[in-house]
Amino acid sequence: MLRLTLRNLAANKARFLMTTFAVVLGVGFVVSSFVMSDGLRSTFGALSEDITAGTDLLVRPTSEFGEPLPLPEDLVTEILAVDGVDNAEAFMESAENELQPIKADGSTITTAGPPQLTFAWNDDTEIGAFTIVEGTAPDEPREFSMDHTAAAKHGFEIGQTYDFVTPLGVEEDFTFVATTSFGADNATVGATLMHVSLAEAQRLFGDPGTVQQIAISVDPGVDAAAVANDIAAVLGTTTAEIVDQATVTAEQKAEFTEGIDIVGNVLLGFAIVSLFVSIFIIYNTFAIVLGQRVREMGLLRAIGADAAQLRRSVVAEAVIIGVIASAIGLAAGVGIAALLTAVFEAVGAELPAYPTILSARTVVLAFVLGIGVTVASSIAPARAAAGISPIEAIRDGAAVTPENGRQRLVRGAMTLLAGVAVGSFGLFGPGLGTLALVLTLGSAAVLVFLGLTLASPAVARPLTAVLGWPVAKLMGTAGGLARGNASRNPRRTATTAAALMIGLSLVTMGYVVGESVKSSLGNLIADSVSADYVIAGMDEAALPPVFADELAASGQFEAVTGMRYDEARLGADVREVTALDMGTIDVLFDIDLEAGSIPASDATDVILLHDELAADLAADVGDTVPIEFVSGHTADLTVAGIYADATIFEDPLVPDQVFDAAGAEVADEWVAAVLPDGVSTADLAPFVAELERTYPQVSIDTASEFQQSFEDTIDSMLLVVNALLALAIVIALIGIANTLALSVHERTRELGLLRAVGMTRRQTRRMVRWEAVLVALFGAVLGVAAGSLFGWGVVSALPADTFGGSLTIPIPQIVQVVVLAAIATLVAAWLPARRAGKLDVLDAIAH
Amino acid sequence: MTVLDPPITSLTNPRPANIAAGAVGVSKIYGSGDTVVRALDDVDVDFVEGHFTAIMGPSGSGKSTLMHCLAGLDTVSAGEIYIGDTDLSGLSERDLTLLRRDRIGFIFQAFNLVPTLSALENITLPMDLAGIKPDQAWLDEVISTVGLGDRTDHRPNELSGGQQQRVAVSRALASRPQIIFADEPTGNLDSTTGAEILAFMRRAVRELGQTIVMVTHDPVAASYADRVIFLADGRIVDELHGPTPESVLDRMKSLGS
Repeated sequence: MLRLTLRNLAANKARFLMTTFAVVLGVGFVVSSFVMSDGLRSTFGALSEDITAGTDLLVRPTSEFGEPLPLPEDLVTEILAVDGVDNAEAFMESAENELQPIKADGSTITTAGPPQLTFAWNDDTEIGAFTIVEGTAPDEPREFSMDHTAAAKHGFEIGQTYDFVTPLGVEEDFTFVATTSFGADNATVGATLMHVSLAEAQRLFGDPGTVQQIAISVDPGVDAAAVANDIAAVLGTTTAEIVDQATVTAEQKAEFTEGIDIVGNVLLGFAIVSLFVSIFIIYNTFAIVLGQRVREMGLLRAIGADAAQLRRSVVAEAVIIGVIASAIGLAAGVGIAALLTAVFEAVGAELPAYPTILSARTVVLAFVLGIGVTVASSIAPARAAAGISPIEAIRDGAAVTPENGRQRLVRGAMTLLAGVAVGSFGLFGPGLGTLALVLTLGSAAVLVFLGLTLASPAVARPLTAVLGWPVAKLMGTAGGLARGNASRNPRRTATTAAALMIGLSLVTMGYVVGESVKSSLGNLIADSVSADYVIAGMDEAALPPVFADELAASGQFEAVTGMRYDEARLGADVREVTALDMGTIDVLFDIDLEAGSIPASDATDVILLHDELAADLAADVGDTVPIEFVSGHTADLTVAGIYADATIFEDPLVPDQVFDAAGAEVADEWVAAVLPDGVSTADLAPFVAELERTYPQVSIDTASEFQQSFEDTIDSMLLVVNALLALAIVIALIGIANTLALSVHERTRELGLLRAVGMTRRQTRRMVRWEAVLVALFGAVLGVAAGSLFGWGVVSALPADTFGGSLTIPIPQIVQVVVLAAIATLVAAWLPARRAGKLDVLDAIAH
Repeated sequence: MTVLDPPITSLTNPRPANIAAGAVGVSKIYGSGDTVVRALDDVDVDFVEGHFTAIMGPSGSGKSTLMHCLAGLDTVSAGEIYIGDTDLSGLSERDLTLLRRDRIGFIFQAFNLVPTLSALENITLPMDLAGIKPDQAWLDEVISTVGLGDRTDHRPNELSGGQQQRVAVSRALASRPQIIFADEPTGNLDSTTGAEILAFMRRAVRELGQTIVMVTHDPVAASYADRVIFLADGRIVDELHGPTPESVLDRMKSLGS
């Protein structure tokens, strides 16, 4: 029997090649997600260890909530005096891209991708992990160093001076004094790493007399834990903690890994979609090939093979295909990982170099998935083929008895309903964790897809007839025949189309959700923001604290306010609080005030509450609410008003004065400004351009640009999603071509007849191609329907006052995708069509 | 043996007006060297318009090859094939296809019909492929002659074997081709149904003026023809006019011995 299995595979090489290809792509995608995340984890794991290599102990400030206050600089000296301490150094690190050097050509280093970080220099190469490659350490004001890789890449030369974008505005003439190396290999994973002196660090991104953390090395042979106890005594009333190297390394790793895991899981999710899609294609191939071998099966049964033997023989074929495909998929995965890395780089999210790691887990999973998917898809066709009676099979025209259509429809409809029920539970039921939600919605989608695939043969005939009507009208007899062929075997059409349905439904869902969120946000922003300008730092960096004041002082605007956030205890809970110029609220926003009034700019110790929060706090207009900040500063704030619109503000709003008094956050997250009547944004363009030259790290958007930037963000997310779904769609197109090739083979005699009675090769090719297009359109229609349903579900589940509320079906985009899919199908069908056209008429008739 | 009896032996060019198809010195050779097979060996034959000719011969005699070559489905190694006065040897694949579509009708032993098309659509298929409108009066006449009646809307799988062959005959007749080739048209049918089909074919020749060339190995089927040509080893070895089943069987026996 095994020999027969092998012979069968050898005889049907071409037919199985396509099947293998589908599995290879699916498995390859899965493997690539592991290769990438394992490699990145390894790179960042090594980086975490490099960063903390020389630090035995770390003292860092703590706080009950919010951003802790920095440590006093004097603490460094006190710790140095502790027995067993070898060295202690102040550690200062800027926020990402907080400081940006301006290159010789006037541009800044791009802020997309790896960050630019600036540290306080110290000479201890153990603790600092940096060594000077060339030049002298930055220890004077307006001196800086940069790691040698970035310096070479961006053309920074020792001895030259460069301007810097700082939170204080652009500062001129920083002297580039040294190139450095991080560890031995300068493994910066793409980041730009710079140093300034401690005093400069305090001036530019810290506070005078304070440090962020203190890194400590202990004397050789001394127990770090014992030293830690002695240091704890020195800390006194400072709220701080001492952690050891292992803890810091582990935390660092966890921080890096979190991001990698997200990317890895997203990729894995798409990989699983591809694999799921390939199941349909493998199933279809087996079903068709076995259908064609019915007589052979009958013969084997007649000469004594039992049904179990035949079944085993088919499953053995599946195992062999699975093994081969998994092995190729494993290799392909490495290639796909490289491809994805290149794609990431192309869209501006450059990944650091990472080693190619094929872990045992990846290899095992590749084979388990590859073989599992292939075997699982072969079982039903194997059972059907083995179940036919020998006599039936040998007699001409016998076919595998199709399952009862009505039964199938009922089962499909029930599966579909189950999927909708599970999906509704996931979307509208009790709040589930991320993993539970993903699993619930994933299985809902699988149920919906299976249900549709089971039920859709019932509509395949009428639907392809409708879709085929224009084809038949426009393409003449070849079109008419294509239409007939597309609907002659509804189950095959449905299964073939299912693969495309899945891919396109996810694309459609993305479009529906994306467009709905866009239009909802657009409406909400239009309703709640009357500002002409919305200004934020690039890459979510905070704005220079002086920025809003400068705008206000410029006299160009009717009203300007910065919005800054900090955490504070309000009532029993810690919440984020927004500080702003209260007097501008009326002009800049529409917060839908329900009770009370909006205070004037000079009001002190007042607060505006969102109605839900007011209910939580049981606070009414005129009541006082106690607030406590990280610094320990407390105040009693009088509730001045209660508002309802949560689009822009959900936080409690306080005057700037409250933050200033509490020593809370000074940097604005964003700034809103409105022009006086009669002045347009066009009038102000020169002023804005000048402002952008002064503050290159600031993005100044008009209200419509602000909305546009939201839409751009959504569009680029959709682009990434669609790029990742493209693989599933490619697999689906291969599936259509594959099924078509098998159908062409099956209909050899019919094609011979058509050719004999005068169908030209061109007409034959056209017939086959349009059949493919009709099958694809059938899948597309189902996919768009299912995707719109999914999208509607997701949009309904989104909170109505932020993202949800209005369902938009973006018909032009969907039509575009469907047309693209149809064109791609024409291309995919080129080969089978060519084969059909080239059939030798006599051979075909005699077939 | 020589080719017998006028009016079929004129080999001059231009071709006589009443010849629907003909072969002039046609040979068909498969393989090369030791394994060479002469399927047709210098065959000369003409088919007169309005006649029903049967080609008979034992298995491997070359009768199917001759028909395929005549119908432009296969190429010849030497000699010329004419449909009307068109020499097939100079035609491209596409021209051959168009010639089959426009000037030749086919009836095969089995699998004559496209399963996705109704009976009527099958009948008009060659004209649909050509993008020309069928002559409705002629179509009605053909359908009524063949006796399909109201079953023209049915799909092939809803028709009996005999009905399917009637559709095939109708298709062959519908475009009023210059000549119809039938390859064992009754091979898959029981004798009663087969007799009906053959009677239709004879009526198509006698009443509708069509030209039919039929390959068969059944003496009874051959007896419906006006003339029977016997092939053996790729050569025309005998010919019979006004055949009966008995006379055909006698000739066959003499050939077989």
